[in-house]
Amino acid sequence: MSAPDGAVALVTGGTRGIGAAIATRLRADGWGVATLGRSGGDVRADVGDPAAVDAAFAEIEARMGPILVLVNNAGERRDQLAIRMSSEQWDAVIGTNLTGSFNCTHRALGGMLRARWGRIVNISSVVAEHGNPGQANYAAAKAGLLGLTRTVAREMARKGVTCNAVTPGVIETDMTTDVADTLVDAVPAGRVGRPAEVAAAVAFLCSEDAAYVNGATLAVDGGMGA
Amino acid sequence: MNEQEILEQVRSALAQIKVAGAETATMESSWADLDVDSLDLVEVVRILEDHFGIEIVDEKLDGVATVGDAVRLVEDISQEGATA
Repeated sequence: MSAPDGAVALVTGGTRGIGAAIATRLRADGWGVATLGRSGGDVRADVGDPAAVDAAFAEIEARMGPILVLVNNAGERRDQLAIRMSSEQWDAVIGTNLTGSFNCTHRALGGMLRARWGRIVNISSVVAEHGNPGQANYAAAKAGLLGLTRTVAREMARKGVTCNAVTPGVIETDMTTDVADTLVDAVPAGRVGRPAEVAAAVAFLCSEDAAYVNGATLAVDGGMGA
Repeated sequence: MNEQEILEQVRSALAQIKVAGAETATMESSWADLDVDSLDLVEVVRILEDHFGIEIVDEKLDGVATVGDAVRLVEDISQEGATA
C-alpha cells in the first residue's frame, strides 16, 4: 500500500541544519511538509512538553492533513564530562532528544494506525553505539532512541507503520562547527558529511521502497561507526 | 442511546481503523473473527471514548472479546456516567 493522498510529513527541529535539509528533500520528493521548532518553523512547540506537542499536531492536522510521516530530529547538545555534568544538563538533553521523540511518536501513532500506513524516522547519532567523552547525556539519549526505534518497529509492524533510525556521523551544521575540524580525523571518508546526505537516507526510509525496512539503523557517517 | 446505536459506533470505529468486515460485524463477532488485535483495540477504545465522551479504563477491557461485549461495556459506562 502506498502513502495515502494528502499525508503530511512532520520534521521536528526542521528549521536548520539536518532538519532543514530533510524538510527540503521531502518537499522535493512530493510530500507536504510541516516543520516544528522551539523558536521557529511552521508550528512552534517544545517537543519535551506533551501538551504542546498535542496542540502542534492538532494545528498541523487541521491545516494540512494527517501526519503520516514523522522525522524526530529535534535535538540539542549540552556537553560536559560525566563527572562534572549537572542534572540540568542531563535532563535537558534527555528531555529534548529522547522524551521529545517519544512525545511526538506517541501522538503520531494513532493516526498512523488508523491509516494503516506510517513512517517514523528517528535521527540518532554515531555516538549512540560508540560513546563520546563529554556527551554522556547526548549519547544516552541517542542510544535510547535506538531502543525506542526497535520497539515501535515491532509494535507497529503489522499495521503498515515502520520505524527506523539514522545515525549521522560528523555533519556540517551549526551544532558541530566547534568540533567538526577535530573530529574529521576519525572519519574514514576523510571529510565531514553534508546535511543533504543525511536527508537522502531519511527520504529513502520514508519511501514506499523501504516498506520492508523496519527497526533498522542506517549509518550515514562516512564509515566512522564501521 | 440504545444498543443498536452503540453497535453502529463500534462498527464505525472498526471501519475507521480499516478492519475488514467492520460494517457487517454483529454482536457475536469476536475480535479473533475480525482479526482485531490488542493494538487495534486500543484505537477502537480511543475512538469510542471520543465519540461517547466516556473513559474506558484498561481493567474494564478484561474479558471484552466480542463486539457485543464492547457494546455492553459502553452502555454500562454511559449509564454510570448518567446516574453519577
